[in-house]
Amino acid sequence: MNRTWAMGGTPGRWLLAVGFFGVASLVLIIPLIVGVLWSLVNPDVGWFPPAIVPSSLSLANWRAMLSVPEIGQAFVMSFLIAPIVTLLCAALALPTGYALGRRQLRARRTIELLVLAPIILPGIVLATGLGSMFIRLGLSHTVTGVVLVQTVVLLPFMIRIVAATFEGVPQDLIDAARNLGASPWPLARDVLIPLVRPGLFAGGLFTFIGSLEEFVLTFIVGMPYVQTLPVLLWAYLGGRSSIFTYAAVVTMVLLVPTIVLMFVAERTLKQEYLAAGFGKV
Amino acid sequence: MAQFAAAIPQVTRAQVRRRREWLIDLVLLAPGLGYLLVFMCVPLVQVALRGFGLLAIGEPSQFTLGLYREVLANKIDRDSIIFSLYFALGTTVISLILSLVISALLQIKFPGRYIISVLYKIPLVVPSLVAAFLVLTIIDQGGIISRALLPYGVEWPELVHDRYGLGIILVLVWHNVPIMTVILSAVMSGIPHDVTAAARNLGASPWQVFRNITVPLSLPGISAASLLVFIGVFGAFSIPSLLGAAYPKAIAVVMSNEVLDRANWGLASALGTIVTALSAILLYVYYRLIRHQEAALR
Repeated sequence: MNRTWAMGGTPGRWLLAVGFFGVASLVLIIPLIVGVLWSLVNPDVGWFPPAIVPSSLSLANWRAMLSVPEIGQAFVMSFLIAPIVTLLCAALALPTGYALGRRQLRARRTIELLVLAPIILPGIVLATGLGSMFIRLGLSHTVTGVVLVQTVVLLPFMIRIVAATFEGVPQDLIDAARNLGASPWPLARDVLIPLVRPGLFAGGLFTFIGSLEEFVLTFIVGMPYVQTLPVLLWAYLGGRSSIFTYAAVVTMVLLVPTIVLMFVAERTLKQEYLAAGFGKV
Repeated sequence: MAQFAAAIPQVTRAQVRRRREWLIDLVLLAPGLGYLLVFMCVPLVQVALRGFGLLAIGEPSQFTLGLYREVLANKIDRDSIIFSLYFALGTTVISLILSLVISALLQIKFPGRYIISVLYKIPLVVPSLVAAFLVLTIIDQGGIISRALLPYGVEWPELVHDRYGLGIILVLVWHNVPIMTVILSAVMSGIPHDVTAAARNLGASPWQVFRNITVPLSLPGISAASLLVFIGVFGAFSIPSLLGAAYPKAIAVVMSNEVLDRANWGLASALGTIVTALSAILLYVYYRLIRHQEAALR
Protein backbone atom coordinates (compact mmCIF):
# COMPACT_ATOMS: atom_id res chain seq x y z
CA MET A 1 0.00 0.00 0.00
CA ASN A 2 2.19 2.73 -1.21
CA ARG A 3 0.17 5.64 -2.43
CA THR A 4 2.24 8.59 -3.31
CA TRP A 5 -0.34 10.40 -5.39
CA ALA A 6 -1.27 13.03 -2.86
CA MET A 7 1.97 14.03 -1.24
CA GLY A 8 5.25 12.91 -2.67
CA GLY A 9 8.50 12.78 -0.76
CA THR A 10 9.41 12.34 2.86
CA PRO A 11 8.71 15.90 4.14
CA GLY A 12 5.11 15.64 3.00
CA ARG A 13 4.64 12.43 4.94
CA TRP A 14 6.11 13.86 8.10
CA LEU A 15 3.85 16.87 7.69
CA LEU A 16 0.87 14.55 7.36
CA ALA A 17 1.92 12.63 10.47
CA VAL A 18 2.28 15.85 12.44
CA GLY A 19 -1.12 17.01 11.24
CA PHE A 20 -2.83 13.75 12.17
CA PHE A 21 -1.22 13.58 15.61
CA GLY A 22 -2.03 17.23 16.24
CA VAL A 23 -5.71 16.76 15.43
CA ALA A 24 -5.85 13.47 17.34
CA SER A 25 -4.41 15.02 20.48
CA LEU A 26 -6.77 17.98 20.19
CA VAL A 27 -9.99 16.00 19.79
CA LEU A 28 -9.11 12.69 21.51
CA ILE A 29 -6.24 13.01 23.98
CA ILE A 30 -6.99 16.40 25.54
CA PRO A 31 -10.65 15.55 26.31
CA LEU A 32 -9.50 12.31 27.94
CA ILE A 33 -6.90 14.14 30.05
CA VAL A 34 -9.42 16.79 31.08
CA GLY A 35 -11.85 14.01 32.01
CA VAL A 36 -9.23 12.36 34.21
CA LEU A 37 -8.42 15.72 35.81
CA TRP A 38 -12.09 16.33 36.62
CA SER A 39 -12.23 12.98 38.42
CA LEU A 40 -9.22 14.02 40.53
CA VAL A 41 -10.37 17.54 41.46
CA ASN A 42 -10.20 18.24 45.18
CA PRO A 43 -13.86 18.87 46.12
CA ASP A 44 -12.85 21.31 48.89
CA VAL A 45 -10.97 23.56 46.48
CA GLY A 46 -12.86 22.97 43.22
CA TRP A 47 -11.74 23.83 39.69
CA PHE A 48 -13.00 27.18 38.54
CA PRO A 49 -12.10 29.34 35.54
CA PRO A 50 -9.66 30.66 34.58
CA ALA A 51 -7.51 27.82 35.93
CA ILE A 52 -6.39 25.56 33.06
CA VAL A 53 -5.33 22.84 35.50
CA PRO A 54 -6.91 22.25 38.91
CA SER A 55 -4.88 23.77 41.72
CA SER A 56 -5.30 20.82 44.04
CA LEU A 57 -5.80 17.15 43.27
CA SER A 58 -7.22 14.41 45.49
CA LEU A 59 -8.75 10.97 45.34
CA ALA A 60 -11.83 12.09 47.27
CA ASN A 61 -14.15 11.58 44.28
CA TRP A 62 -12.86 8.07 43.78
CA ARG A 63 -13.45 7.32 47.44
CA ALA A 64 -17.05 8.35 46.75
CA MET A 65 -17.31 5.09 44.78
CA LEU A 66 -17.23 3.33 48.13
CA SER A 67 -18.95 5.94 50.27
CA VAL A 68 -21.75 7.10 47.92
CA PRO A 69 -23.99 4.03 47.73
CA GLU A 70 -25.56 4.89 44.35
CA ILE A 71 -22.23 4.80 42.51
CA GLY A 72 -21.22 1.46 44.02
CA GLN A 73 -24.68 0.01 43.38
CA ALA A 74 -24.70 1.18 39.75
CA PHE A 75 -21.26 -0.38 39.30
CA VAL A 76 -22.44 -3.73 40.67
CA MET A 77 -25.65 -3.52 38.61
CA SER A 78 -23.78 -2.83 35.34
CA PHE A 79 -21.28 -5.62 35.86
CA LEU A 80 -24.05 -8.01 36.92
CA ILE A 81 -26.20 -7.37 33.85
CA ALA A 82 -23.39 -7.39 31.25
CA PRO A 83 -22.26 -11.04 31.69
CA ILE A 84 -25.85 -12.31 31.78
CA VAL A 85 -26.69 -10.45 28.55
CA THR A 86 -23.48 -11.76 26.95
CA LEU A 87 -24.25 -15.38 27.83
CA LEU A 88 -27.86 -15.07 26.71
CA CYS A 89 -26.81 -13.54 23.38
CA ALA A 90 -24.17 -16.24 22.82
CA ALA A 91 -26.64 -19.03 23.52
CA LEU A 92 -29.26 -17.54 21.19
CA ALA A 93 -26.81 -16.56 18.45
CA LEU A 94 -24.85 -19.83 18.10
CA PRO A 95 -27.50 -21.93 16.34
CA THR A 96 -28.92 -19.00 14.40
CA GLY A 97 -25.46 -17.80 13.38
CA TYR A 98 -24.64 -21.32 12.18
CA ALA A 99 -27.78 -21.43 10.05
CA LEU A 100 -27.05 -17.99 8.56
CA GLY A 101 -23.38 -18.72 7.97
CA ARG A 102 -23.44 -22.25 6.60
CA ARG A 103 -26.85 -23.33 5.43
CA GLN A 104 -28.75 -22.60 2.24
CA LEU A 105 -31.70 -20.65 3.50
CA ARG A 106 -34.86 -19.62 1.79
CA ALA A 107 -35.87 -16.02 2.45
CA ARG A 108 -32.28 -15.25 3.45
CA ARG A 109 -32.71 -11.57 2.57
CA THR A 110 -35.75 -11.20 4.83
CA ILE A 111 -33.95 -12.94 7.68
CA GLU A 112 -30.90 -10.71 7.28
CA LEU A 113 -33.10 -7.63 7.25
CA LEU A 114 -34.82 -8.81 10.44
CA VAL A 115 -31.43 -9.24 12.12
CA LEU A 116 -30.29 -5.85 10.89
CA ALA A 117 -33.42 -4.00 12.03
CA PRO A 118 -32.56 -3.53 15.74
CA ILE A 119 -29.17 -2.07 14.76
CA ILE A 120 -30.73 0.50 12.46
CA LEU A 121 -33.96 1.30 14.31
CA PRO A 122 -33.74 4.20 16.76
CA GLY A 123 -33.53 2.87 20.30
CA ILE A 124 -36.26 5.20 21.51
CA VAL A 125 -38.83 3.54 19.20
CA LEU A 126 -37.96 0.08 20.50
CA ALA A 127 -37.99 1.47 24.03
CA THR A 128 -41.52 2.85 23.57
CA GLY A 129 -42.79 -0.50 22.33
CA LEU A 130 -40.95 -2.65 24.86
CA GLY A 131 -41.71 -0.26 27.72
CA SER A 132 -45.47 -0.60 27.34
CA MET A 133 -45.22 -4.35 26.64
CA PHE A 134 -43.12 -4.91 29.77
CA ILE A 135 -45.52 -2.94 31.96
CA ARG A 136 -48.23 -5.44 30.97
CA LEU A 137 -45.90 -8.39 31.55
CA GLY A 138 -44.80 -6.97 34.91
CA LEU A 139 -41.18 -6.84 33.70
CA SER A 140 -40.56 -3.10 33.78
CA HIS A 141 -38.32 -1.77 36.56
CA THR A 142 -36.79 -5.25 36.97
CA VAL A 143 -33.31 -6.57 36.24
CA THR A 144 -34.87 -9.33 34.12
CA GLY A 145 -36.63 -6.74 32.00
CA VAL A 146 -33.42 -4.77 31.45
CA VAL A 147 -31.52 -7.96 30.52
CA LEU A 148 -34.24 -8.81 27.98
CA VAL A 149 -34.32 -5.35 26.34
CA GLN A 150 -30.53 -5.10 26.15
CA THR A 151 -30.50 -8.51 24.46
CA VAL A 152 -32.80 -7.18 21.73
CA VAL A 153 -30.28 -4.56 20.57
CA LEU A 154 -27.11 -6.60 21.20
CA LEU A 155 -28.20 -9.98 19.80
CA PRO A 156 -27.95 -8.78 16.15
CA PHE A 157 -24.24 -7.92 16.57
CA MET A 158 -23.60 -11.36 18.05
CA ILE A 159 -25.55 -13.14 15.30
CA ARG A 160 -23.74 -11.23 12.53
CA ILE A 161 -20.29 -11.84 13.99
CA VAL A 162 -20.95 -15.54 14.69
CA ALA A 163 -22.46 -16.00 11.21
CA ALA A 164 -19.41 -14.37 9.59
CA THR A 165 -17.15 -16.71 11.57
CA PHE A 166 -19.08 -19.86 10.66
CA GLU A 167 -18.97 -18.75 7.04
CA GLY A 168 -15.16 -18.72 7.23
CA VAL A 169 -14.81 -22.31 8.49
CA PRO A 170 -13.40 -24.45 5.64
CA GLN A 171 -15.85 -27.10 4.47
CA ASP A 172 -12.92 -29.60 4.23
CA LEU A 173 -12.57 -29.75 8.00
CA ILE A 174 -16.25 -30.53 8.47
CA ASP A 175 -16.22 -33.13 5.69
CA ALA A 176 -13.09 -34.74 7.15
CA ALA A 177 -14.68 -34.98 10.60
CA ARG A 178 -17.83 -36.45 9.07
CA ASN A 179 -15.84 -38.98 7.05
CA LEU A 180 -14.06 -40.03 10.21
CA GLY A 181 -17.45 -40.80 11.68
CA ALA A 182 -18.28 -37.77 13.80
CA SER A 183 -22.02 -37.46 14.49
CA PRO A 184 -23.62 -33.99 14.65
CA TRP A 185 -23.18 -33.34 18.38
CA PRO A 186 -19.47 -34.30 18.69
CA LEU A 187 -18.91 -32.48 15.40
CA ALA A 188 -20.35 -29.30 16.90
CA ARG A 189 -18.54 -29.70 20.22
CA ASP A 190 -15.09 -30.81 19.06
CA VAL A 191 -14.75 -29.23 15.63
CA LEU A 192 -17.11 -26.34 15.00
CA ILE A 193 -17.15 -24.58 18.36
CA PRO A 194 -13.35 -24.57 18.77
CA LEU A 195 -13.05 -23.21 15.22
CA VAL A 196 -15.47 -20.35 15.85
CA ARG A 197 -14.11 -19.52 19.30
CA PRO A 198 -12.33 -16.34 18.05
CA GLY A 199 -15.57 -15.06 16.57
CA LEU A 200 -17.49 -15.98 19.68
CA PHE A 201 -14.89 -14.13 21.74
CA ALA A 202 -15.19 -11.06 19.50
CA GLY A 203 -18.97 -11.15 19.68
CA GLY A 204 -18.87 -11.60 23.43
CA LEU A 205 -16.56 -8.61 23.76
CA PHE A 206 -18.89 -6.47 21.67
CA THR A 207 -21.92 -7.58 23.63
CA PHE A 208 -20.27 -7.04 26.99
CA ILE A 209 -19.17 -3.50 26.09
CA GLY A 210 -22.52 -2.81 24.46
CA SER A 211 -24.35 -3.88 27.60
CA LEU A 212 -22.17 -1.66 29.80
CA GLU A 213 -22.91 1.28 27.50
CA GLU A 214 -26.57 0.73 26.67
CA PHE A 215 -28.65 3.67 27.86
CA VAL A 216 -31.98 4.46 26.17
CA LEU A 217 -33.72 1.10 26.67
CA THR A 218 -32.32 0.61 30.16
CA PHE A 219 -33.44 4.14 31.01
CA ILE A 220 -37.02 3.77 29.76
CA VAL A 221 -37.60 0.20 30.96
CA GLY A 222 -35.49 0.16 34.12
CA MET A 223 -36.26 3.63 35.54
CA PRO A 224 -36.02 4.33 38.41
CA TYR A 225 -35.17 1.07 40.15
CA VAL A 226 -32.54 -0.42 37.85
CA GLN A 227 -29.74 2.14 37.75
CA THR A 228 -26.73 1.19 35.62
CA LEU A 229 -23.63 3.37 35.21
CA PRO A 230 -24.87 5.21 32.07
CA VAL A 231 -28.21 5.98 33.75
CA LEU A 232 -26.34 7.40 36.73
CA LEU A 233 -24.08 9.41 34.42
CA TRP A 234 -27.14 10.89 32.74
CA ALA A 235 -28.49 11.90 36.15
CA TYR A 236 -25.18 13.53 37.12
CA LEU A 237 -24.85 15.44 33.84
CA GLY A 238 -28.34 16.67 33.22
CA GLY A 239 -31.16 15.33 35.32
CA ARG A 240 -30.52 17.09 38.61
CA SER A 241 -27.71 19.60 38.96
CA SER A 242 -24.65 18.59 36.99
CA ILE A 243 -22.02 17.09 39.26
CA PHE A 244 -18.97 17.12 37.02
CA THR A 245 -16.63 15.44 39.49
CA TYR A 246 -18.83 12.38 40.07
CA ALA A 247 -19.67 12.31 36.36
CA ALA A 248 -15.94 12.15 35.63
CA VAL A 249 -15.51 9.18 38.00
CA VAL A 250 -18.39 7.28 36.38
CA THR A 251 -16.99 8.21 32.95
CA MET A 252 -13.60 6.73 33.81
CA VAL A 253 -15.17 3.56 35.22
CA LEU A 254 -17.05 3.15 31.92
CA LEU A 255 -14.15 4.15 29.70
CA VAL A 256 -11.22 2.16 31.04
CA PRO A 257 -12.63 -1.32 30.40
CA THR A 258 -13.94 -0.38 26.97
CA ILE A 259 -10.66 1.17 25.79
CA VAL A 260 -8.59 -1.72 27.19
CA LEU A 261 -10.93 -4.21 25.53
CA MET A 262 -10.71 -2.29 22.27
CA PHE A 263 -6.92 -2.47 22.22
CA VAL A 264 -7.14 -6.20 22.96
CA ALA A 265 -9.65 -6.52 20.14
CA GLU A 266 -7.48 -4.51 17.74
CA ARG A 267 -4.49 -6.76 18.44
CA THR A 268 -6.15 -10.15 18.52
CA LEU A 269 -9.23 -9.94 16.36
CA LYS A 270 -9.49 -9.99 12.65
CA GLN A 271 -10.86 -6.86 11.05
CA GLU A 272 -13.70 -8.77 9.41
CA TYR A 273 -15.36 -9.49 12.75
CA LEU A 274 -15.38 -5.78 13.48
CA ALA A 275 -16.78 -5.06 10.04
CA ALA A 276 -19.53 -7.65 10.60
CA GLY A 277 -20.32 -6.09 13.95
CA PHE A 278 -20.47 -2.51 12.81
CA GLY A 279 -22.74 -3.59 10.03
CA LYS A 280 -22.10 -2.68 6.46
CA VAL A 281 -25.71 -2.03 5.62
CA MET B 1 -51.37 -33.98 -16.08
CA ALA B 2 -53.89 -35.32 -13.61
CA GLN B 3 -52.98 -38.82 -14.66
CA PHE B 4 -49.37 -38.11 -13.92
CA ALA B 5 -50.11 -36.82 -10.45
CA ALA B 6 -52.21 -39.87 -9.74
CA ALA B 7 -49.52 -42.14 -11.10
CA ILE B 8 -46.89 -40.98 -8.62
CA PRO B 9 -48.65 -40.63 -5.30
CA GLN B 10 -45.74 -41.57 -3.07
CA VAL B 11 -43.53 -38.89 -1.62
CA THR B 12 -40.08 -39.00 -3.16
CA ARG B 13 -36.93 -39.30 -1.12
CA ALA B 14 -35.82 -35.87 -2.28
CA GLN B 15 -38.97 -34.36 -0.87
CA VAL B 16 -38.51 -36.02 2.50
CA ARG B 17 -34.97 -34.86 2.55
CA ARG B 18 -35.94 -31.32 1.63
CA ARG B 19 -38.56 -31.23 4.35
CA ARG B 20 -36.02 -32.51 6.86
CA GLU B 21 -33.50 -29.86 5.88
CA TRP B 22 -36.18 -27.23 6.17
CA LEU B 23 -37.02 -28.46 9.66
CA ILE B 24 -33.35 -28.30 10.68
CA ASP B 25 -33.16 -24.72 9.37
CA LEU B 26 -36.21 -23.82 11.40
CA VAL B 27 -34.87 -25.36 14.61
CA LEU B 28 -31.53 -23.62 14.18
CA LEU B 29 -33.06 -20.23 13.38
CA ALA B 30 -35.66 -20.46 16.12
CA PRO B 31 -33.66 -19.15 19.12
CA GLY B 32 -32.29 -15.98 17.52
CA LEU B 33 -35.12 -15.10 15.17
CA GLY B 34 -37.78 -16.20 17.64
CA TYR B 35 -36.35 -13.85 20.22
CA LEU B 36 -36.34 -10.96 17.75
CA LEU B 37 -39.89 -11.75 16.62
CA VAL B 38 -41.21 -11.72 20.18
CA PHE B 39 -39.21 -8.81 21.57
CA MET B 40 -38.81 -6.63 18.49
CA CYS B 41 -41.55 -7.29 15.96
CA VAL B 42 -44.39 -7.61 18.50
CA PRO B 43 -43.57 -4.33 20.27
CA LEU B 44 -43.12 -2.56 16.93
CA VAL B 45 -46.51 -3.76 15.73
CA GLN B 46 -47.97 -2.59 19.03
CA VAL B 47 -46.39 0.84 18.51
CA ALA B 48 -47.82 1.05 15.01
CA LEU B 49 -51.32 0.04 16.17
CA ARG B 50 -51.22 2.29 19.23
CA GLY B 51 -50.40 5.23 16.99
CA PHE B 52 -53.85 4.72 15.48
CA GLY B 53 -55.56 4.54 18.87
CA LEU B 54 -55.75 0.74 19.02
CA LEU B 55 -54.38 -1.31 21.95
CA ALA B 56 -54.56 1.87 24.02
CA ILE B 57 -53.43 1.77 27.63
CA GLY B 58 -55.86 3.14 30.21
CA GLU B 59 -58.45 4.43 27.73
CA PRO B 60 -60.96 2.88 25.35
CA SER B 61 -59.29 1.79 22.13
CA GLN B 62 -60.78 2.53 18.76
CA PHE B 63 -59.34 3.34 15.39
CA THR B 64 -58.60 7.03 15.06
CA LEU B 65 -56.29 9.36 13.20
CA GLY B 66 -56.58 11.81 16.08
CA LEU B 67 -53.09 11.23 17.43
CA TYR B 68 -51.49 12.09 14.08
CA ARG B 69 -53.74 15.13 13.78
CA GLU B 70 -52.57 16.11 17.26
CA VAL B 71 -48.92 15.76 16.20
CA LEU B 72 -49.48 17.88 13.11
CA ALA B 73 -51.45 20.52 15.00
CA ASN B 74 -48.99 20.79 17.88
CA LYS B 75 -46.15 23.21 17.20
CA ILE B 76 -43.87 21.54 19.78
CA ASP B 77 -44.17 18.14 18.06
CA ARG B 78 -43.80 19.59 14.58
CA ASP B 79 -40.76 21.61 15.57
CA SER B 80 -39.20 18.56 17.21
CA ILE B 81 -39.42 16.64 13.93
CA ILE B 82 -37.93 19.57 11.99
CA PHE B 83 -35.20 20.07 14.61
CA SER B 84 -34.25 16.37 14.53
CA LEU B 85 -34.12 16.41 10.73
CA TYR B 86 -31.96 19.55 10.90
CA PHE B 87 -29.31 18.23 13.24
CA ALA B 88 -29.32 14.79 11.63
CA LEU B 89 -28.66 16.36 8.22
CA GLY B 90 -26.03 18.73 9.64
CA THR B 91 -24.22 15.90 11.44
CA THR B 92 -24.29 13.66 8.38
CA VAL B 93 -22.94 16.31 6.00
CA ILE B 94 -20.16 17.50 8.33
CA SER B 95 -19.16 13.94 9.30
CA LEU B 96 -19.12 12.88 5.65
CA ILE B 97 -16.82 15.72 4.58
CA LEU B 98 -14.44 15.09 7.48
CA SER B 99 -14.32 11.32 7.07
CA LEU B 100 -13.82 11.56 3.29
CA VAL B 101 -10.73 13.68 3.90
CA ILE B 102 -9.49 11.47 6.75
CA SER B 103 -10.02 8.22 4.84
CA ALA B 104 -8.29 9.55 1.74
CA LEU B 105 -5.30 10.74 3.79
CA LEU B 106 -5.17 7.41 5.66
CA GLN B 107 -4.49 5.67 2.34
CA ILE B 108 -1.11 7.41 2.23
CA LYS B 109 1.78 5.84 4.11
CA PHE B 110 3.16 8.10 6.81
CA PRO B 111 5.10 7.56 10.05
CA GLY B 112 2.79 6.49 12.88
CA ARG B 113 -0.09 5.56 10.61
CA TYR B 114 -0.79 2.40 12.61
CA ILE B 115 -1.15 4.36 15.84
CA ILE B 116 -3.52 6.83 14.19
CA SER B 117 -5.59 4.01 12.71
CA VAL B 118 -6.08 2.63 16.24
CA LEU B 119 -6.55 6.03 17.91
CA TYR B 120 -9.28 7.29 15.61
CA LYS B 121 -11.46 4.30 16.52
CA ILE B 122 -11.61 5.26 20.21
CA PRO B 123 -14.93 7.17 19.87
CA LEU B 124 -16.49 3.96 18.46
CA VAL B 125 -16.41 2.33 21.87
CA VAL B 126 -17.08 5.49 23.87
CA PRO B 127 -20.68 5.57 25.12
CA SER B 128 -22.55 8.62 23.80
CA LEU B 129 -23.10 9.96 27.34
CA VAL B 130 -19.36 9.81 27.99
CA ALA B 131 -18.76 11.51 24.63
CA ALA B 132 -21.15 14.26 25.70
CA PHE B 133 -19.27 14.70 28.98
CA LEU B 134 -15.83 14.75 27.34
CA VAL B 135 -16.82 17.27 24.70
CA LEU B 136 -18.69 19.30 27.32
CA THR B 137 -15.51 19.76 29.37
CA ILE B 138 -13.87 21.23 26.26
CA ILE B 139 -16.50 23.41 24.58
CA ASP B 140 -18.73 24.53 27.45
CA GLN B 141 -18.53 28.14 28.66
CA GLY B 142 -16.42 27.01 31.60
CA GLY B 143 -14.57 24.51 29.40
CA ILE B 144 -10.92 24.32 28.49
CA ILE B 145 -11.16 26.38 25.28
CA SER B 146 -12.91 29.28 26.96
CA ARG B 147 -10.39 29.14 29.82
CA ALA B 148 -7.48 29.12 27.38
CA LEU B 149 -8.92 32.09 25.48
CA LEU B 150 -9.73 34.14 28.58
CA PRO B 151 -6.30 35.80 28.93
CA TYR B 152 -6.60 37.10 25.36
CA GLY B 153 -9.95 38.68 26.05
CA VAL B 154 -11.76 36.45 23.54
CA GLU B 155 -15.35 35.69 24.47
CA TRP B 156 -16.21 32.03 23.77
CA PRO B 157 -19.74 31.63 22.37
CA GLU B 158 -22.40 29.54 24.10
CA LEU B 159 -22.35 26.21 22.27
CA VAL B 160 -24.28 24.06 24.71
CA HIS B 161 -28.04 24.36 25.25
CA ASP B 162 -28.11 26.79 22.35
CA ARG B 163 -31.01 27.32 19.95
CA TYR B 164 -29.13 26.00 16.94
CA GLY B 165 -28.05 22.73 18.56
CA LEU B 166 -24.38 23.39 17.76
CA GLY B 167 -23.22 21.47 20.84
CA ILE B 168 -25.40 18.51 19.84
CA ILE B 169 -24.00 18.51 16.30
CA LEU B 170 -20.42 18.79 17.58
CA VAL B 171 -20.71 15.76 19.89
CA LEU B 172 -22.59 13.74 17.28
CA VAL B 173 -19.92 14.52 14.69
CA TRP B 174 -17.20 13.49 17.17
CA HIS B 175 -19.02 10.23 17.69
CA ASN B 176 -19.90 9.47 14.05
CA VAL B 177 -16.76 10.43 12.10
CA PRO B 178 -14.98 7.17 13.15
CA ILE B 179 -17.96 5.02 12.08
CA MET B 180 -17.94 6.66 8.65
CA THR B 181 -14.15 6.52 8.44
CA VAL B 182 -14.12 2.75 9.13
CA ILE B 183 -16.56 2.17 6.27
CA LEU B 184 -15.04 4.68 3.84
CA SER B 185 -11.41 3.66 4.32
CA ALA B 186 -12.40 0.01 3.81
CA VAL B 187 -14.02 0.99 0.51
CA MET B 188 -11.14 3.26 -0.52
CA SER B 189 -8.47 0.63 0.19
CA GLY B 190 -10.37 -1.58 -2.27
CA ILE B 191 -9.87 0.89 -5.12
CA PRO B 192 -7.13 -0.56 -7.36
CA HIS B 193 -3.92 1.37 -7.07
CA ASP B 194 -3.44 1.21 -10.85
CA VAL B 195 -6.42 3.48 -11.44
CA THR B 196 -5.16 6.35 -9.30
CA ALA B 197 -1.59 5.86 -10.52
CA ALA B 198 -2.75 6.00 -14.14
CA ALA B 199 -4.65 9.22 -13.48
CA ARG B 200 -1.58 10.74 -11.83
CA ASN B 201 0.60 9.70 -14.78
CA LEU B 202 -1.87 11.34 -17.14
CA GLY B 203 -1.33 14.60 -15.29
CA ALA B 204 -4.24 14.76 -12.83
CA SER B 205 -3.61 16.74 -9.65
CA PRO B 206 -4.17 15.04 -6.26
CA TRP B 207 -7.41 17.02 -5.89
CA GLN B 208 -8.62 15.89 -9.32
CA VAL B 209 -7.86 12.26 -8.45
CA PHE B 210 -9.80 12.63 -5.20
CA ARG B 211 -12.71 14.45 -6.84
CA ASN B 212 -13.01 12.38 -10.03
CA ILE B 213 -11.80 8.92 -9.02
CA THR B 214 -11.70 8.26 -5.28
CA VAL B 215 -15.08 9.80 -4.44
CA PRO B 216 -17.08 8.29 -7.34
CA LEU B 217 -15.58 4.83 -6.76
CA SER B 218 -16.39 5.03 -3.03
CA LEU B 219 -20.01 5.97 -3.71
CA PRO B 220 -21.56 2.72 -2.37
CA GLY B 221 -19.66 3.20 0.89
CA ILE B 222 -20.56 6.88 1.02
CA SER B 223 -24.27 6.24 0.66
CA ALA B 224 -24.22 3.35 3.16
CA ALA B 225 -22.30 5.34 5.76
CA SER B 226 -24.42 8.48 5.33
CA LEU B 227 -27.63 6.55 5.67
CA LEU B 228 -26.42 4.66 8.74
CA VAL B 229 -25.38 7.89 10.43
CA PHE B 230 -28.48 9.86 9.43
CA ILE B 231 -30.95 7.29 10.75
CA GLY B 232 -28.95 6.75 13.93
CA VAL B 233 -28.71 10.47 14.64
CA PHE B 234 -32.32 11.25 13.73
CA GLY B 235 -33.54 9.06 16.59
CA ALA B 236 -30.72 9.95 18.99
CA PHE B 237 -31.83 10.51 22.55
CA SER B 238 -29.05 10.83 25.10
CA ILE B 239 -26.93 13.57 23.51
CA PRO B 240 -29.84 15.89 22.56
CA SER B 241 -31.42 15.37 25.97
CA LEU B 242 -28.21 16.47 27.72
CA LEU B 243 -26.96 19.22 25.42
CA GLY B 244 -30.16 20.48 23.84
CA ALA B 245 -31.97 23.72 24.61
CA ALA B 246 -35.36 23.79 26.32
CA TYR B 247 -36.83 24.55 22.88
CA PRO B 248 -36.85 23.06 20.30
CA LYS B 249 -36.41 19.53 21.60
CA ALA B 250 -35.31 16.48 19.58
CA ILE B 251 -38.10 14.07 18.62
CA ALA B 252 -36.63 11.31 20.82
CA VAL B 253 -36.64 13.66 23.81
CA VAL B 254 -40.28 14.59 23.20
CA MET B 255 -41.13 10.87 22.99
CA SER B 256 -39.39 10.04 26.26
CA ASN B 257 -41.14 12.98 27.99
CA GLU B 258 -44.52 11.72 26.77
CA VAL B 259 -43.74 8.24 28.08
CA LEU B 260 -42.02 9.02 31.39
CA ASP B 261 -43.71 12.24 32.49
CA ARG B 262 -47.22 11.88 31.12
CA ALA B 263 -47.51 8.13 30.42
CA ASN B 264 -48.99 9.18 27.07
CA TRP B 265 -48.03 6.01 25.21
CA GLY B 266 -50.40 6.80 22.34
CA LEU B 267 -48.75 10.04 21.28
CA ALA B 268 -45.26 8.59 21.78
CA SER B 269 -46.28 5.68 19.55
CA ALA B 270 -47.53 8.03 16.84
CA LEU B 271 -44.20 9.90 16.91
CA GLY B 272 -42.32 6.58 16.97
CA THR B 273 -44.22 5.41 13.92
CA ILE B 274 -43.25 8.59 12.08
CA VAL B 275 -39.56 8.02 12.96
CA THR B 276 -39.74 4.36 11.90
CA ALA B 277 -41.56 5.14 8.67
CA LEU B 278 -39.00 7.77 7.73
CA SER B 279 -36.13 5.37 8.45
CA ALA B 280 -37.82 2.64 6.43
CA ILE B 281 -38.37 4.95 3.45
CA LEU B 282 -34.70 5.99 3.52
CA LEU B 283 -33.60 2.35 3.68
CA TYR B 284 -35.82 1.47 0.73
CA VAL B 285 -34.45 4.35 -1.34
CA TYR B 286 -30.96 3.21 -0.38
CA TYR B 287 -31.56 -0.37 -1.53
CA ARG B 288 -32.93 0.93 -4.85
CA LEU B 289 -29.88 3.15 -5.30
CA ILE B 290 -27.49 0.30 -4.51
CA ARG B 291 -29.19 -1.97 -7.01
CA HIS B 292 -28.87 0.67 -9.74
CA GLN B 293 -25.23 1.24 -8.91
CA GLU B 294 -24.46 -2.47 -8.91
CA ALA B 295 -26.23 -2.83 -12.24
CA ALA B 296 -24.26 0.08 -13.66
CA LEU B 297 -20.96 -1.37 -12.51
CA ARG B 298 -21.67 -4.73 -14.09
